[in-house]
Amino acid sequence: MSQRKSYAVGTGMFIVLGFAALAYLATQTSSIANNHQGSSYKVDAQFANIGQLKERAPVKVAGVRVGQVQSITLEPGKDVADVTLSIDNKYAQIPTDSVAIIYTSGLLGDQYVGIQFGGAKTYVADGGHFGLTKSTQPLEEMLGKFLGGGGAADAIGGTYTVKANFTNVGTLAVGAPVKMAGVAIGSVASVKADPVKLDALVTLDIDKKYNQIPDDSAVSIFTSGLIGSQYVAIQPGGSPNSLKDGDQLVLTQSAMQLEDLIGKFLVNGSSNSGSNAGSNGSSNSPAGKH
Amino acid sequence: MTDAVHAKPDDRTLVRIRGLTTVLNGKTVFNALDLDIPRGKVTAIMGPSGTGKTTLLKHITGQMRGDAGEVRVDGLNVSELARDELFALRERIGYLFQNSALLTDFDVFENVAFPLRQHTKLPEVLIRNIVLTKLQAVGLRGAAPLLPSELSGGMARRVALARAIVFDPMLILYDEPFVGLDPIALNQVLKLIRTLNETLGITSVLVAHELEAIKHVADHIYLIANGKIVAQGDPNTIASDGSSWTRQVLGGEADGPVPFQYPAGDYAQALGFKQGAA
Amino acid sequence: MNTRVDHGNSVTQSLAQIGACGLFLLRILAAIPLSLRHVRETVRQLWFVGAMSLTIIMVCGLFVGMVLGLQLYHVLAIFGGTSASGSVVALAIYRELGPVVTALLFAGRAGTSMTAEIGLMRATDQIAAMEMMAVDPIAYVATPRFLAGLIAMPLLCCVFCAMGIFGGHLVGVNWLGVDNGTFWSNMTSSVDVWQDVINGVIWKSTAFGAVVSLIAVFQGYTTPPTSEGVAYATTRTVVASSIAILSLDFVLTAFLM
Repeated sequence: MSQRKSYAVGTGMFIVLGFAALAYLATQTSSIANNHQGSSYKVDAQFANIGQLKERAPVKVAGVRVGQVQSITLEPGKDVADVTLSIDNKYAQIPTDSVAIIYTSGLLGDQYVGIQFGGAKTYVADGGHFGLTKSTQPLEEMLGKFLGGGGAADAIGGTYTVKANFTNVGTLAVGAPVKMAGVAIGSVASVKADPVKLDALVTLDIDKKYNQIPDDSAVSIFTSGLIGSQYVAIQPGGSPNSLKDGDQLVLTQSAMQLEDLIGKFLVNGSSNSGSNAGSNGSSNSPAGKH
Repeated sequence: MTDAVHAKPDDRTLVRIRGLTTVLNGKTVFNALDLDIPRGKVTAIMGPSGTGKTTLLKHITGQMRGDAGEVRVDGLNVSELARDELFALRERIGYLFQNSALLTDFDVFENVAFPLRQHTKLPEVLIRNIVLTKLQAVGLRGAAPLLPSELSGGMARRVALARAIVFDPMLILYDEPFVGLDPIALNQVLKLIRTLNETLGITSVLVAHELEAIKHVADHIYLIANGKIVAQGDPNTIASDGSSWTRQVLGGEADGPVPFQYPAGDYAQALGFKQGAA
Repeated sequence: MNTRVDHGNSVTQSLAQIGACGLFLLRILAAIPLSLRHVRETVRQLWFVGAMSLTIIMVCGLFVGMVLGLQLYHVLAIFGGTSASGSVVALAIYRELGPVVTALLFAGRAGTSMTAEIGLMRATDQIAAMEMMAVDPIAYVATPRFLAGLIAMPLLCCVFCAMGIFGGHLVGVNWLGVDNGTFWSNMTSSVDVWQDVINGVIWKSTAFGAVVSLIAVFQGYTTPPTSEGVAYATTRTVVASSIAILSLDFVLTAFLM
């Protein structure tokens, strides 16, 4: 009889433990941890492009979650998406002229709706509407800004030109930054195929401020991050002579193709990674150090 | 099926089998078997191994159904009963399995209490009293807290017997109750069968091989072979019957109506001494 | 041996098994109302298949989480994405590893013991004895075990996942030095309750629990009541469960995602 009772107690403990684990998973490790519990009110907003925005995506003010996306609909005959936001009643004082913007958390993260406060004295009510919206920006555009804007050197004092030949420039584009020690010192002026050497001739415009670069410096094509675009990096050499306008850089390292890199990681074997794969043994470690 | 499913019970015969024919895997086990089991008596069913004695018990309890003929227990046509009627009938039948079939998860007490707990909502005190009474009857009241794995074969069989009689059934079927028992345990079981029959008037059906043991308890013996009854009568009649069947089955002769050789093809051909061999 | 001839080739044989298994499921389900009288037996089975499997589930969950944390850290470090290790560990465990590994362990630990137990109950006539005591063995033996498996699997899976997260946290944060806050915030922002916890963990593991316990009970119940038969049935339980789990996993993933 006591035996039977111990089963019941043990089983009860097991069930409680199981549900405790479930509660833990559901509340502590998931987005419910960020979810509001109280009542909410609904506000509409129209976006020209919602990108990857999903229902239940967070709505944030100043980065703090205030609600979630209730529904996303496309009215037939219109080319804008109707997004209904469900905002916590706690946060009832949002100015009517606030701007609803679709942001991406990080480069690869999910999208969410951010609300930038306006200056109006009236607040949106249930069933209200955000008139000002800003749609999601395609990644390509963002990358373009990223690279074109802050990355490039100001080049106020004029530039001088050097040339370099690469066996493979990857996706290096005109306007891509030229960096030394991670700092932009110029940009790519042109990328052309050399009809004689059968490789790529890249012309670099370098700010005249940086006229002390040794003429035996190495020049490489690197990729910023995993999916970022490519740039030219100059690694200074030890020669006492400096580069001058029209000089040719001899030591070049071509672009690593992403496919090659991924192939190396996944297969962990020798792939046709071109002339720059140093060893054909464990090609994992050099890539890892990069 | 001349009668309805529920016929009036016969007050002399508890189990009435008529024209029972059963074919299992192409082998005819019973061939138009007729057999009566009288109320309040101990009936023994004997026969060579493989003649379907256990199968016969399964027909009586409705675990198996014949291909033709009928089996009536207390007037009920077993093979025609609905499932709950069959279960209601089984509550009135005790069955002692050859290997006791105690539930290994429960101790002796719970094993005996099992049918009570399943079919009644009796208060715990009453269950306890009934179980202890039955265990006392088989002499194992002290073994109540033991697990089946801690029992000897004879004890396990006595516990199974206590379980079989916990509902005071009208009929107990014993499937080989003497196999593997030492002489002491065998006599204990024999005595129990006799006592239960005499004191409670329970009709008993025994399937066994041991003529000496059966002589002490059985009122009537059926000898079954080849799907038919080949001899019947009280123990003394059977023992003195000079037919070849009784001589072989009871006397244990190696060869006789039951062949020593299992049916096979030609011996010489199987050994490859004759032409035409593969 | 000669019964095998009747069953024909292995394809029709497996089809026959699947069919018989389906019919057996119907019998089990039909016996649920009857088995409500044996709630105590269901609780007892829940103890055997659930509570007794806790240790192996917890230990394995911990190590799976730890190894995931370790492996993912080194791969993510290549891309400078170690901060994502929390979310990747959680998603990998919730969506795949949790339900599948728990189900495989459950088949090995609880499924085999169910099969062996029922097989031995048949071999020692306990099932027949129940029939003779007017107790429906499906309702008393099969259904409680099936229900216990059905209830225990999602609970075990939750425990497994929680231990996995804990193991991943242990390695990622305490050992390799991923920031604690980043670990959790990345996890909470990427794990969705419905998509990952309810669909991924609960429904999948419930489905796996049903399949594993059905196979285990079926194999035990239909095996020839001999010691050989029980041994074969136990092996078949593991093989059939594993195949069923992984193929069902694909189907469920395709439907639930």
